[in-house]
Amino acid sequence: MLATLIRTLLLGAGAALALGALPVRAADPGVTDTEIVIGLHAPLSGPLAAFGIDPLNAAKMWYEEVNKKGGIHGRKIRLIVEDDKCNPNEAVLVVKRLATVHNVFMINGGSCTPAVIATQEFISREKIPFAMLNAAGDNGVFPPIRYMFGAFGGTQRADGAVLVEFAFNALKARRMAFIVHDDEYGNAKWATSKAVAERLGAEAVAVERISPRVTDVTTPMLNIRAARPDVIISAAYPQPAVLIAQKYGEFKMTAIPMVQAVQGIPVPDIFQKNVGNDAVFSNFYYGSPLNDMFNGPRQQKWVQMYKQYYPDRTPGAWMAFGLPPAMAVTRALEKAGRNLTREAFVEAMETLDFESEVFAGKIQFAKGRRDGMRSAIVIRFDGKKHTVMPGAYAWNGRDGM
Amino acid sequence: MLISLLQAIASGVVTGCAYALVALSLVMIYKSTDVINFGGGEMVMIGGYLAMFALLAIGLPYAGAFVFAAVVAFMVGAAFDRVVLDRMLGRALPGQSVLVAMVIATVGLSYVLKGLVRVVPYTEEVRRLAPLFAGDPVFLGPIILQRQDIAIVVIAVLLMRAWWAFFNFTLLGKALRATSQNPRAAALIGIPVRAMRMTIWGIAAIFAAMAGILLGPKLLMTPDMGSVVILAFAAAIVGGFHNLPGCILGGVVLGVVQNLVGLYISSRAIVLTPFVVIMLVLVLRPQGLFGGAVVTKKV
Repeated sequence: MLATLIRTLLLGAGAALALGALPVRAADPGVTDTEIVIGLHAPLSGPLAAFGIDPLNAAKMWYEEVNKKGGIHGRKIRLIVEDDKCNPNEAVLVVKRLATVHNVFMINGGSCTPAVIATQEFISREKIPFAMLNAAGDNGVFPPIRYMFGAFGGTQRADGAVLVEFAFNALKARRMAFIVHDDEYGNAKWATSKAVAERLGAEAVAVERISPRVTDVTTPMLNIRAARPDVIISAAYPQPAVLIAQKYGEFKMTAIPMVQAVQGIPVPDIFQKNVGNDAVFSNFYYGSPLNDMFNGPRQQKWVQMYKQYYPDRTPGAWMAFGLPPAMAVTRALEKAGRNLTREAFVEAMETLDFESEVFAGKIQFAKGRRDGMRSAIVIRFDGKKHTVMPGAYAWNGRDGM
Repeated sequence: MLISLLQAIASGVVTGCAYALVALSLVMIYKSTDVINFGGGEMVMIGGYLAMFALLAIGLPYAGAFVFAAVVAFMVGAAFDRVVLDRMLGRALPGQSVLVAMVIATVGLSYVLKGLVRVVPYTEEVRRLAPLFAGDPVFLGPIILQRQDIAIVVIAVLLMRAWWAFFNFTLLGKALRATSQNPRAAALIGIPVRAMRMTIWGIAAIFAAMAGILLGPKLLMTPDMGSVVILAFAAAIVGGFHNLPGCILGGVVLGVVQNLVGLYISSRAIVLTPFVVIMLVLVLRPQGLFGGAVVTKKV
């Protein structure tokens, strides 16, 4: 009798333990039976807010769409949004706050490379999956770091390679002048531009490394004029890009084509207004990782969706950049399954290979690859009309490495 | 090559005058109150944004934008003195100097102004203030200059002359100088010292705002455009912090040297030039290139 009672009690206890074991399993932070918490951050104020507000809104819009369709494996996505001001110190604080105060599952954020790079150490130490928003983030993806995925719109390397390929093939330029900043962004851009130019057999006749805080670009432009290049390739930020374009017009250099990296011309119409001289646009091109002009037919689907979500806001050219990272995150969450862990999510991210219908090339990751996209188109802007130049250009992943 | 050199010098003169305009505001406050105003750059910045607000949001003409910016800037400068600096002075113990604390307060002012302006919608994008003098560039032989550039040079010189005349020939200017040189003696002869200090902060803020309006079309508008104050400090140090014409010449020297460095050494070295120049001047001629012999100021 006693033996039967003991056996029954032991069986009951065993069954209770076995049943209880399922919900007791420690889940990763930010995941419950009903929700997945994702941290979003970008510059939402300050001079670089144009890089952040629309992409972040677009990412929020995508997550909301996914939630409307029932979420992922029965879980809804909940977002915590923070402003990093594109400031590295601020970005580190924001990421720490998201991870330790809000206990997010993963982070989708960063519009500026230095800010993203600053978070790298914390991300790696705490093993938090991180998908950049619209930062190029070269040093965050080269060499690849397990938990950091990025460059959905292409790295600086890819951007630099594409502009040189375009100048060589479409403009038949053989003597190239470069304007790049003297920071990490400029270093990455210049490394690849130089390598591609050398491979193609073009000559870099002038390389002007300028500070992002430059107040006068007279001498860099005089140096370029003296070098008599076939093309000027500028990778300047918005403010110096305007100063450069103004001098380019002022010094009557418009017979030489100018190719501007997309970072310098976030909103073409405002860029044009700031330059204040339509003659500048007689021979002017800019690169774009999008699959069409911002107002082109292939982008309208996203623009219209954005207008439904944010009727009071006119989206800038950076808006669509926020979509592919969010698409990648939701696809990886799907692939990782119901038993979601950070490690399973990272492994799912590594297998992604999809057309975003936003960018010029596919989003692809792999075990040793953390830069998502390597293609771009080039657009001619004559001051009134934007025309996509024929062909898409892609970085081979080797030049400049 | 000669054409490039002449163009570099001409552009350097223009840029230098832009630095000098900001330096005028700094020197004005320093001469009158002994305070080094680290918020000077942000006063320039708000001047530009106030004008942009007046032009775009209120729809005022440029003359109206100048007046609007001047009035608001005066109020900001005067309020900072009355609400912050004056209280610091009032709470100081007899014989205690609060100069360092006042200088630190100006750093606080710069952060407050930068923070406030970030809530304005115009600060989301880099924007260019409409130039006061638009039109085709002016050709001086092979040298190309924008009309706005010429305006900066002319206005910088006119402002310097006006300020010199104000300090030397008006009762208010003399009262301000007296207040600066010996506040106690100034008070004894009936000069309202507190009002004088407040006035000088207000006027300096107007000068900074005017600089912002002139620089807005040239340097473009961002909340960080106040960083130009470092170049203005360099201009003032090169010219001599007590010397108003000197700070104009200091700005010009700095602008030209920057461009020559960019032309003959490297574009990368342009941004380092002001700091090298500051160090050289402080080591070799602390009173500035155009300052007189070092004298004891207080009596």
